[in-house]
Amino acid sequence: MLKRVPRWAKLIGVIVVLVGLALIPGRAKQQLEVAKEFELTPIVKLPHVGPVDLSINKAVVYLWIATAVITVAALVINRTLKSRPGRFQLAMEGLYELARNGIVGSVMKSGADTWFPYIGAAFVFVLVSNVIGLVPLPFAEHNQLGFYAATANLYVTLTLALFTFAFTHYAGIKKNGPVHYFKNWMPKGAPPVLREFIFVIHGVSEIFRLVSLSVRLFANMVAGHAILAVFFAMALIFQSYLAAAILQGGSAMIYLFEIFVAVIQAFIFAILSAVYIGGALEQEH
Amino acid sequence: MDASAAKLLGAGLSMGLGAIGPGVGLGILIGKALEGIARQPEVSGDIRTNMFIGIGVTEAVALYAFVVALILIFVAK
Repeated sequence: MLKRVPRWAKLIGVIVVLVGLALIPGRAKQQLEVAKEFELTPIVKLPHVGPVDLSINKAVVYLWIATAVITVAALVINRTLKSRPGRFQLAMEGLYELARNGIVGSVMKSGADTWFPYIGAAFVFVLVSNVIGLVPLPFAEHNQLGFYAATANLYVTLTLALFTFAFTHYAGIKKNGPVHYFKNWMPKGAPPVLREFIFVIHGVSEIFRLVSLSVRLFANMVAGHAILAVFFAMALIFQSYLAAAILQGGSAMIYLFEIFVAVIQAFIFAILSAVYIGGALEQEH
Repeated sequence: MDASAAKLLGAGLSMGLGAIGPGVGLGILIGKALEGIARQPEVSGDIRTNMFIGIGVTEAVALYAFVVALILIFVAK
């Protein structure tokens, strides 16, 4: 039906709608504090155990939701495996195929079977928590709908990166023995003083892997959510329905881009974990 | 200029200037990877995997600038 309308009529229609929106007076001024979206206020207050605060906040709830989604999906796919897969099973098989062959199989030479469970689990967990961050859930202030992701929290991403860090050195030491493993941090042909220097530099680079692995995920998720929040806040500040319409169009574009970023960041986290663990296993002799 | 203004200015400058290098690097990296894929489409899977590893390492440089900016805003006195 829309095809019969000529193009100039559509253009005029759009212009009339935009002018109409511009003429409607805006509502009263409202405020949206972008930084407040990332504040963690306890939902359920629980006592401290030593220095650890056990209170349940937004991030904890999001982690629970991610865990629940993964558990339910795994149980459902486990119970309903068919030889003629449906849509859900095809998607799950594609995810498994990507993690097994696309990430672990293509990066790790040996130990792929040993370390696939960890890397696959990390991939799925990061992916699901990133994607859940794009679903509006009622955990913002006053139980309003809001965006937040468990991975937009440095503590969560740092914990995930610490797992990779610990497993990297555990794998390297177990495969090569502690003496051999740390000896391989120094190049063979280098002169004596330089070798110790390179050893220290290598140690520093190991620490910075931890920093970059955690901060990458955290920064990408925070930046995406902050941009979305800024677009919403701008619509409130301009107090005009025209600006709001245009900004909502822009935020829809950014939302689509954020879906892409969520998948890519999970992929990069998993593939870098695989590279680090594979690198610790494969030492030059 | 008081200290808090200098802090915010420094944070913005560190993020902005720190993003220049990784931006150029990512452009070169992805451009070369696409060139390789266009030349040899049969190894595109391998090239893509290695491209993502390279992206991860290149991005880390910008992330250090981001960390410095965060430290300047929230930690530095």
